[in-house]
Amino acid sequence: MIEVRALSLALDAFRLRDVTLTVADGEYLVLLGPTGAGKTVLLECIVGLHRRHAGTITVDGADVTRLFPEERNIGYVPQDYALFPNMTVMENLAYGLRARRTARAEIAEKTAGMLTRLGIQSLAARFPSTLSGGEKQRVALGRALLTEPRVLLLDEPLAALDEHTRSELAAGLREVQQSVHGTFVHVCHNLDEALEVADQIAIIQEGAIVQVGTPQDILYRPACLFVAQFTRTRNLLHGRAQSDAAGVTVTLDGGAVLQSAAAMTGRVVASVRPERIRLRAADGATTNGLCGRIVRVCPKLGHVEVQVDIGTIVIAHLGHSEAMSLPAAGGAVQLGIAPEDVCLHPVSATEPPG
Amino acid sequence: MSFERAPGRCSRRFEVLLRIVLALVILGSIWLFASSLGQTEPRAVRVLLGRSWFWRSLWLSVFTATITTIIAILLGIPTAYALSRFRFRGRIAAGVLLDAVLVLPASTVGLSLMVALQYPPVLAAQDAIGFRVVHSLAGVVLAQLVLALAFAIRAFRAAFDSQNPRYEHVARALGSSRLRTFFTVTLPLARSGILAGVVLAWTRALAEFGAVLLVAGTFRMRDSGQFSALARALGLANADVLSVGMWMEIEGGRTEQGVAIAFVLLLVSALSVYALHRLADGPGGWRRA
Repeated sequence: MIEVRALSLALDAFRLRDVTLTVADGEYLVLLGPTGAGKTVLLECIVGLHRRHAGTITVDGADVTRLFPEERNIGYVPQDYALFPNMTVMENLAYGLRARRTARAEIAEKTAGMLTRLGIQSLAARFPSTLSGGEKQRVALGRALLTEPRVLLLDEPLAALDEHTRSELAAGLREVQQSVHGTFVHVCHNLDEALEVADQIAIIQEGAIVQVGTPQDILYRPACLFVAQFTRTRNLLHGRAQSDAAGVTVTLDGGAVLQSAAAMTGRVVASVRPERIRLRAADGATTNGLCGRIVRVCPKLGHVEVQVDIGTIVIAHLGHSEAMSLPAAGGAVQLGIAPEDVCLHPVSATEPPG
Repeated sequence: MSFERAPGRCSRRFEVLLRIVLALVILGSIWLFASSLGQTEPRAVRVLLGRSWFWRSLWLSVFTATITTIIAILLGIPTAYALSRFRFRGRIAAGVLLDAVLVLPASTVGLSLMVALQYPPVLAAQDAIGFRVVHSLAGVVLAQLVLALAFAIRAFRAAFDSQNPRYEHVARALGSSRLRTFFTVTLPLARSGILAGVVLAWTRALAEFGAVLLVAGTFRMRDSGQFSALARALGLANADVLSVGMWMEIEGGRTEQGVAIAFVLLLVSALSVYALHRLADGPGGWRRA
């Protein structure tokens, strides 16, 4: 288990502010945030590359804050993998064991075992410059795993790849993590990549961690407006929240009223994920629901995007078969939005209204 | 010339200009070397090759340049690595100081060295061990070293600076100490840059004239009893490095002999520079992408 406590660091353009984070054994945690948020710097702090920071880092209860990288037993796979170009795949794999003065026979046995496990026996004598992206990744993982680190840190391992390869290699990462029951911390800026591999996601913004939770938590219960925006919650609706006996109601600036399970009053931004909005053709019989008119229906891969005018425009994502039963643009629809899907965020002073 | 109206014509004119300048510079260099070769009389070269002091001088040049280069490697690699990796107050000033040596006239460097060595406490220290650097063979090496080291550090540092630091980070995370990482990862990956620095240092040391003359003076005409037994045993007594030897021939009115020495120096330098280019373009060379 890794525990980062109250870590702060100012480094050129980057700044970490009071970062506290726990990664449980066997957990796959993704550190997610936009470019420049300080993800890589945080990872490098855990590796031990910046030791002049405030706060502590413990691994399995042992304080490693003041230790050199070579004393921490933390696996590190940097962006672009940094395979040693002057060594073969075999020598790259053996590097960590050699540094530990492991017996020759044991090194040979373990590296051979790792080659087999990763399915790259045929690459043993090759140099890194001749490998494909996927092959490099496997060698880098193997090299880091051979020393049996207490945790493996991956810095943007899939950043430089195209969409298709990325998805394939993400599955590969997850597979390796499961097979070694390892604790993985993976830095990335891509939401889809994070959702594909993570048990837990920690969102980092301007050097501070703003939310840690499961992928569901991050998507459906964003802790702040930044998380809602970063997870591409398309409906960010300004309004005023009031608390009464029935709960919290939000009167949107366009006049529509939503129920929310959140406890907040005053000026707010309500975030609602498009895929959590249900739509059905208004049959005239229902009176107390939220109604609107379809503005535009836009089919996409995997879902249909429907824009509905309820005084303000909201976007709903529906399955293709669901969308078949909707009226055409201009038709009236009834919206179903559960109160727990309406998350409220205070309007910051700097934000322009509406 | 208008950039907007006729971009095509502008490009052609610029290209023509570039070609003319390039041709002028190349022709100038060829003329310089060719005239030196043309002035070299085969008879003078034959006479030179028959003189024992010439062979001692060639040997002295190669010997001192090699010793200088070895010291430049031993001092230069750690210095360059520390300058490249450590962030400390005065790091930029240190870099400027080292580079300043490169732009000073060598004679100025020699004069500074001489003054520094004559500084009373330094002089007292030399007397205490019974050895004075000025006008000794050690002085030759020291004079060569100041410039050779500055060149070597520049090349070594460029090699370390251009290296992706992640290789070192990964090595250390894998459990390798800083020292082991340096020898197994950093140094092998900087190999071509290190070799460039070594060749630069060697050629610089071989060609050094002004600083050597000021610090060490000349040896050929001295009484052989003034040389140490070691210098005599190594065959370094009563000889001058080639650059100084050439100057002495010219000063003594034996211009033909001077030109013949220049020819030899040209040959050795050309071979060294050729080796440098081969290293740059060869396997693992720094000019290879």
